[in-house]
Amino acid sequence: MDFIVAGFIKAIELLISGDTSTWTAVWATIKVSTCSMLLSIGAGLPCGFLLGYFDFKGKKHLRTILDTMLAFPTVFIGLMVYAFISRQGPMGELGLLFTLTGIAIGQTILAFPIVTAITASTIENIDHDFKLTLVTLGAGKRHIITTCLWEVRFGILAAAVTAYGRVLTEVGISMMVGGNIKYHTRTITTAIALETNKGLFADGIALGLVLIMIAFIVNLSLSFLRKQ
Amino acid sequence: MTQKEITYHLKDIQHYYGNTKVLDIADLKIKKGSITGLIGPNGSGKSTLLKLLAFAQKPTRGNIFYKGRIELPFSPTVRSKVTLLTQKPYLLKRTVFENIAYGLKIRKDKKHLKERVKKALLTVGLDDQKFAVRKWHELSGGEAQRVSMAARLILKPEVLLLDEPIASVDTESAGLIRKASLKARDNWGATLVIASHDLQWLYSISDRQLSIFKGNIFSTGLENIITGPFLKSGIKSDGKTLVKKLDDGQIITLKAPGKKTCTAVVIRKKNIAISLEKQLDNGLLNQLSGHIVSMLLEEKKEIIMATISIHNLAFILRLTSDQISRINLYPGKKVILKFHPNDVEWI
Repeated sequence: MDFIVAGFIKAIELLISGDTSTWTAVWATIKVSTCSMLLSIGAGLPCGFLLGYFDFKGKKHLRTILDTMLAFPTVFIGLMVYAFISRQGPMGELGLLFTLTGIAIGQTILAFPIVTAITASTIENIDHDFKLTLVTLGAGKRHIITTCLWEVRFGILAAAVTAYGRVLTEVGISMMVGGNIKYHTRTITTAIALETNKGLFADGIALGLVLIMIAFIVNLSLSFLRKQ
Repeated sequence: MTQKEITYHLKDIQHYYGNTKVLDIADLKIKKGSITGLIGPNGSGKSTLLKLLAFAQKPTRGNIFYKGRIELPFSPTVRSKVTLLTQKPYLLKRTVFENIAYGLKIRKDKKHLKERVKKALLTVGLDDQKFAVRKWHELSGGEAQRVSMAARLILKPEVLLLDEPIASVDTESAGLIRKASLKARDNWGATLVIASHDLQWLYSISDRQLSIFKGNIFSTGLENIITGPFLKSGIKSDGKTLVKKLDDGQIITLKAPGKKTCTAVVIRKKNIAISLEKQLDNGLLNQLSGHIVSMLLEEKKEIIMATISIHNLAFILRLTSDQISRINLYPGKKVILKFHPNDVEWI
């Protein structure tokens, strides 16, 4: 029990002293997860809208595939991305292996189905009188789409928060694609795994605290936005 | 009616949901500046008709002429001129002000927006200071209905379609909605079509009433409909009569329909007589015993609409004040309704 308490104390010391290895991992995490989130929202939002708003042939099958993608283990995504961007892979020439960009690609693949599925469900659950009301108020197709997206903004925020939580805490992709290189591709989660293996619990707990803090700040900001 | 006086002309309209026919109207004209009331039980096709009139849906078959031209959903000609207030209006997840101003904003008509919203709120009896800043979830059912009404009135539409506008509102709100509807017609000549189950309210506001049953408009005004099951009559059976047995032992005899597809019978008000005593040696004449349950005054025509309960069936008759006083009718009084089995129409 003592070593856990000592770990918390050491954690605070590490953060206050501005320990380089700790802070580079923090920045790498923030950079890579924010980038992957922006990409997954950019792609997932329109896909989710199309899937939720329109009825078309094969929609059910597409939903099944998407739901399956939600359960993809991060190590499998890491493995696939690794296979594609490694030297002998089809995208090997781009030199993305063991880079933050490589991790961002993997995390985008992880977050995309979450954003898409939650957006689609939110759009599907919108009141069935919504479209009729807008049409009878004189809205054209463009207005209906933009108003619809604005109406489900809280659902989209929830999708973003859920996806952010997933990419922030994943280890498999960062470890396999990033390689856990100190001062370069080491993220908070891979650093925690490494420090724990080395028996340096204080460093692990410090990084864990930062991870929780980031998640807290993100949720707090979104909650503030929601109130606005 | 001249062409100019007609806002709507529905021709050979048929509408289906899947394989089920929900509307079948051969010919219907709605006059400009008129207030038309739609009467009918749930599922009779009133809401579907309103959606078609709002150009929110395209009829499966047939054409809707709007001011002499065939129009379709999303047509720019009608999009900004026809508006529908649905039974459960959807409020955008915004403030009351934003909800009311939405229609004007999408039309890029933002002149004197504040004053116009204020005026629209006042028309439906809501205080601008108190309500404009309220969010959509801070309204009661009646207030939400009135805000939705204001969101339509602010557009000054040529056609205002109201689907059960007073279904979930209090008496005061019902009065305000009535006043606002009449104002729309009187101030800018709007044409109104209103579906409502509240017959007294509907009769007090509308110029004419259309009865809808199973998607068919079969009369102007309220008519009496009896639905099955119907049985073959025993003793009197010549294959041409059917009977409906009521749980209290009374029997209604009806001329059998020509077509097997008919499932309900209409008995026109004019074919029903009311008296206090049964007639002896009546032959096939139906003589049903019941009680007057309500009497409503149709203000516009000075006619009294009496509802008579015959076991679990409700019959409606329109009576003059002379008829009422001659046999001294009042709610609760026992009466006899008489009609001949041949004086029925199958639908």
